Amino acid sequence: MSVAQVKRIAISDSPVPWLAPLVALLVVFTVYPLLYNIWLSFHEFVPKRRALEFVGFENWVQLWGDTRFWSSMGVTFVYFFVALFFQVTLGMGIALLLDAELPGFGVLRAVLSMTLVIPPAIAGMMFLLMQDPQFGVLTYFLSQLGILDQTSPILSTSSTALAGVLVVEIWQWTPFMVLIFMAGLRALPPEPYEAAMIDGASAYQVFRRLTLPMMSKVIAVAILLRGIDLFRVFDYVFVMTSGGPGTATYSMSYYAWQQTFTATNWGYGATISLVSLLIVIVMANVFISVFKVRW
Amino acid sequence: MKDNDRKRYLASVTDRFAKGQMGRRQFLKASAALGLAGLGTSMIGRPSGLFTPAYAQDALTPSPEVIAWLKDVAKPFAGTTLKLATEATPPSNALNSQLKGFFEEATGIKVEIEILPLEQVLQKLTLDVASSLGSYDLYYIDQSWAASVSQDVFDPREQYAANAALAMPNYNLDDFLPALVDGICVYEDRWVGVPYDIPVFIMIYRKDIYDQFGLKAPATLAELLSNSEIITKEMGPTVYGTTGQMKSGHYSLECDWTAWLWGHGGSVFGPDGKFTGNDDRGLEAMAYWDKLKATMPPGVDGWTWDGQGQSVAQGVAASMLSWGEFFPYFDDPTQTKVSGLCEVAVPPAANLLRTSAETGYGEIPGVGHQGGSSLAVSKYSKAPDAAWIFMQWATCADTQALITSLGGGTGPTRASVYEDPRVLANARVGAGTTRHLNVVRETIANHMGSEPDLPEWAQLSSDTIPVGLGKYFAGGYGSAKEALDDIAGQVGKVMEG
Amino acid sequence: MHQSRPTRVLRTLAGWMVVGIFFFPIYFWTSVAFRNAKDIFNWPPKIFVFEPNLHNFEEVFGISLALGPQVVNPGGGNFYMAPRLLDSIIIATFSTLLAIVVATAAAYCLSRMQFRGRHHFVNWVLSTRMMPPVAVAIPMFFIFKQFTLLDTYTGIILIHAIMNLPLAVLLMKSFFDDIPAEIDESALIDGASRWTIFRRIVLPMAKGGIAASAVLCFIFSWTEFLFVLTLTQTSLKTVPVVSSTFVTSIGTAWGNMAALGAAAIIPAFIVVLLVQRHLVRGLTMGSLKQ
Repeated sequence: MSVAQVKRIAISDSPVPWLAPLVALLVVFTVYPLLYNIWLSFHEFVPKRRALEFVGFENWVQLWGDTRFWSSMGVTFVYFFVALFFQVTLGMGIALLLDAELPGFGVLRAVLSMTLVIPPAIAGMMFLLMQDPQFGVLTYFLSQLGILDQTSPILSTSSTALAGVLVVEIWQWTPFMVLIFMAGLRALPPEPYEAAMIDGASAYQVFRRLTLPMMSKVIAVAILLRGIDLFRVFDYVFVMTSGGPGTATYSMSYYAWQQTFTATNWGYGATISLVSLLIVIVMANVFISVFKVRW
Repeated sequence: MKDNDRKRYLASVTDRFAKGQMGRRQFLKASAALGLAGLGTSMIGRPSGLFTPAYAQDALTPSPEVIAWLKDVAKPFAGTTLKLATEATPPSNALNSQLKGFFEEATGIKVEIEILPLEQVLQKLTLDVASSLGSYDLYYIDQSWAASVSQDVFDPREQYAANAALAMPNYNLDDFLPALVDGICVYEDRWVGVPYDIPVFIMIYRKDIYDQFGLKAPATLAELLSNSEIITKEMGPTVYGTTGQMKSGHYSLECDWTAWLWGHGGSVFGPDGKFTGNDDRGLEAMAYWDKLKATMPPGVDGWTWDGQGQSVAQGVAASMLSWGEFFPYFDDPTQTKVSGLCEVAVPPAANLLRTSAETGYGEIPGVGHQGGSSLAVSKYSKAPDAAWIFMQWATCADTQALITSLGGGTGPTRASVYEDPRVLANARVGAGTTRHLNVVRETIANHMGSEPDLPEWAQLSSDTIPVGLGKYFAGGYGSAKEALDDIAGQVGKVMEG
Repeated sequence: MHQSRPTRVLRTLAGWMVVGIFFFPIYFWTSVAFRNAKDIFNWPPKIFVFEPNLHNFEEVFGISLALGPQVVNPGGGNFYMAPRLLDSIIIATFSTLLAIVVATAAAYCLSRMQFRGRHHFVNWVLSTRMMPPVAVAIPMFFIFKQFTLLDTYTGIILIHAIMNLPLAVLLMKSFFDDIPAEIDESALIDGASRWTIFRRIVLPMAKGGIAASAVLCFIFSWTEFLFVLTLTQTSLKTVPVVSSTFVTSIGTAWGNMAALGAAAIIPAFIVVLLVQRHLVRGLTMGSLKQ
């Protein structure tokens, strides 16, 4: 190669023009809102004077003593763990079940992925109707099975409201896990399984000692991606319960939104969303380093 | 056949078809014979909701004087677009679906109406006002929000006086029922728009079920309780005595609360501006409410007024103390199971009523809780004159009469409209009936209750109080006293700012 | 692994049952779209037996609207929603276009070029995926207001495109990684510029990947709720947000809502079927393949 050619490669090899639009847009979408939120969290909107005034650390102090905030954090974490638990276990179970060439299974896998293209807001409405205490299909089934007492509507009883919302979450996103796990299962090498069969290992042992460890990377990615989205739950709460009854289904995202847009406490809403962001970033980064997830 | 005759014949043919007295084929044939094949099909499109006005279609159009005035006054504003966000109440629906076309055609001003659930309307309003956005030219203002936005809209009296060129002849601000003006629009010394709709609590009950048990429309709260208990005992769980709109965290729960609170001689605020919902009378009201709730379907905790209405419409509840607007819907045989079976009465008499002197912030106790709204022009609008023209037209007597006749029996806010022949003609059983309007008018005059007016009220009534009450009914507190004391504390915090 | 016949039969049945349970809500919702109010509110609920008819669809898509004057339902609302469906399509299409154009270029760069901090850059892109929409929507509302982007197609298209960028970049990168770099190298030696290689050689080879990324961006824009809720008013609305307007002061119009919902699901599903092969790679943002 001549010097000129090397030079040309070196120049055209600059990543800048390729990445510039991406960086510009992402900065607008992430860096700027982050800074703006931080700035907002030190101010508050005063309706009487229709102005944003500097309040120092008042929002942060108020957050610390706000029971509704801690309750929303609790709700979000409970939601997170329960949904993740069910989605992972059910997802794995169904993936194992469907990972075979049995009659119609191709169609079944396609049908299962239908839940993923439904807007969560609409899925929420679907289940709202199905959980209607007077006319709901789900209410009917559950009361026939004796699990549910018709006098305590699912979404209006504190103890079951979150469960009512979780049902939609689990219904809609378990197929997400199923698809990913199935792809992972497909990629597993057959040799260890043949060896295990020769050794006479039980299905459970095979699963625990072979499948699970080999699938660890896949499971890690799935948990990371789903976990991030779980923590930000908003659509279902907004559409189904508006945070109620009481504050039983108030998620952090919903609380931040409610404070900003209903109560016009812009500074306070920004503060809540900042805390939420912080938690997600910390948890995600810890997870990535512990489980060595790579892109 | 002359055009008018043809239209009248088509109207009667359509009427018969909608009533099921004519088959679809015959109807198509008849309308085709009238040379209106395409038109006929469109009317079949939704036979279940087809409104059969007693007047033939062409009589339900704006009066020629109104149209002439519009054409004249709006000339300089042609081409403007106006925006309004409102709840899906009958006037807004009627305007949005049918009537605004007349306005747009006559003036060349385009009107975009965004129809949303009430809580979203509040969010949009709050945001628009707080950031002086001016995205909306007109505001639909629920009476509980009037105090918070009083400075952000024009006072219609001033508008009318200041703009002689744009003033509508015979607009007549005095025609609005004074009780409504007081309860909905007046804050301090300003009018926050003009009264636009008036959903007010009246007693709606199933006459057939009541007759079955020899019951009469409840004259007192105690009777309402005993009637409901009897019905629930005998007919539950298929049918319940009464129903409620007790969704946690929703404004509707607060509305129900005030009816019982005021009915027992309590009030939200005292003359010193302190919360008094937790005093003895308030606790009495809660005890009553607990007993009444036991006669309601279990779903009440999850419903706002729409679920409540549905429970009566589908025959699950035998009575409700709720918005009169539902009544025409109940009479629609294609939508509900109770057409012709419901009757109306004024709300049960209160045990005791505090006078406004004993309450705070202009609160007027009365069992007939009113949830009226006003329409006003935003100060941030970029086209305030065009908006003012639309507002006058939308709330004038002629348009209100049309709304009431076309839009399905919603209560007018103007005295003259109650006497309008078009409105009176619809006082029969059937969709869009107006046979309940006498009761509505009487309730407004003698039994109406209005919420307090203060800037924090929007937040208190849509969030603080109903979230607390919702928690109570979900079992989150040990007792009603504990719940109300806690609410009192939170109210205090909000008031401090 | 070989399994005995009874096990296989059992397994087949179990598979069908499980997926059947997952499918049931979709069936039910679609059936609601075809029902009258009297068939929706029943106890015990009617699951399979009802009188199907099309009038919910007529109302929502204005088929009868096109033929004559609109009928006002007493107390009810005007449910003509076809323009909203169009809004959803416009926004999803254009935001996808924008996202793909920006992402493909960036992804190619990340896949082929070595530069200091490349690993950190990739991590940064990934971390932008973690922003809770609420945290972004609040400042965005004020920014949009400043630049008069509120309630405009441009505004929503921008925000949806940006929202999809991390996904699109990482996903396209994994597709480019699949194409051997040697092809680039030999073209480089022949004197071609990066841009030419990208445009003439690599891009055509990555067509499948681009299609898959585009589909996923489309779906996520189609189903997005919070940004549209916050940043629009009257000019436009997408299908998920407009569903709440079916709650009228008289009752929720479930039939109409279901009609709109059903109509919105079907095209999205068909499109997903077309890129089935790459679905998993898409869902994991390029981390895993199928």
